[in-house]
Amino acid sequence: MHPDNSRRNYAVLAVSVAVAALFIYAGIDKIRNPQQFADSTAGFALLPAVLINLLALGLPPFELACGVLLLAPPTRRVGALAVAVVSVMFFAALASALLRGLTLDCGCFGAGAPSRPRMWLELALDVALFSGALFVYLRSITRRPARAA
Amino acid sequence: MSIITPDPARPSEARSLGSQIARDFGRIAILAIASLGAGLAMNRFSLHPLPLVYQTPEQRFDAELTTLVAAPPFEVASAATVGLEEFRSAVGGKSALIFDARPSVFFEKGHVPGALNLARDDFAHDYRGLAGVLQAAHDKPIIVYCSGGECRDSRLVADALLSLGFGNVRVFSGGWDAWSAAGLPASTGSGH
Repeated sequence: MHPDNSRRNYAVLAVSVAVAALFIYAGIDKIRNPQQFADSTAGFALLPAVLINLLALGLPPFELACGVLLLAPPTRRVGALAVAVVSVMFFAALASALLRGLTLDCGCFGAGAPSRPRMWLELALDVALFSGALFVYLRSITRRPARAA
Repeated sequence: MSIITPDPARPSEARSLGSQIARDFGRIAILAIASLGAGLAMNRFSLHPLPLVYQTPEQRFDAELTTLVAAPPFEVASAATVGLEEFRSAVGGKSALIFDARPSVFFEKGHVPGALNLARDDFAHDYRGLAGVLQAAHDKPIIVYCSGGECRDSRLVADALLSLGFGNVRVFSGGWDAWSAAGLPASTGSGH
């Protein structure tokens, strides 16, 4: 194997494990306290009441699944794309809250006190997660040779 | 990164990549539906299941209160507030009952010495547990605090105590943030 490829493979593995760990942690934390996550979600004032609890119940297992999928090479590609999608969702929600002048607890990676500096930090973390997930996804897409007609 | 960029001169390659990405999005949609199913199933067997439609903390709190008194709506006169110095002297002189309205997990990490946990999110349970203390000191002033800043828990708990017949209830609006920022002593643990 070419040394460059080997280094890239290690980088993919390292990024996958780091993102997976964060998502598994975030998923388990939210599964343990769905009410807290529902309250955090409601604080964004983006969703109607009928969707808030469904999101609070459905997103944590999804995050957990993303983390697990990232760890196994055959499912890594789908896990990475799912993380990228969730990161964009979190980013959009946080950016909109910041633009509207809200101060809240994002609830993205565990409960905490409402704080705008923390919201900015979590926004930056979303960018990092999206970049990492995109890197893993793009590295995982293999070129398939075009078949002769 | 040649592996990710389809060669424009080879349209079949671009189509293949496009269909692979489309299939991945399809798998994500299936994963999302399965996750929602798993979440709903876990909620079904949870000790504290969420209702399908979200209720605000105020709505949940009102529902909790109806388990303690049978005559809603409650007469809620907004509780007065106290500043840090007055709160500090009440804590030091033990001249008031101090209640921490934050969830127990935060109370256990650190609270004002002598404070008791009367959490907004488990009010009825905590209130019943503290019935003896509240009965014995019915005429003693009560001061409630929560995190500080924009937290609403102390206000909700104080108003609930007023509606339950306690006459001298106030809120320390600076809360735990102001207390700890002033470098004042803290206790940890459940406090019971």
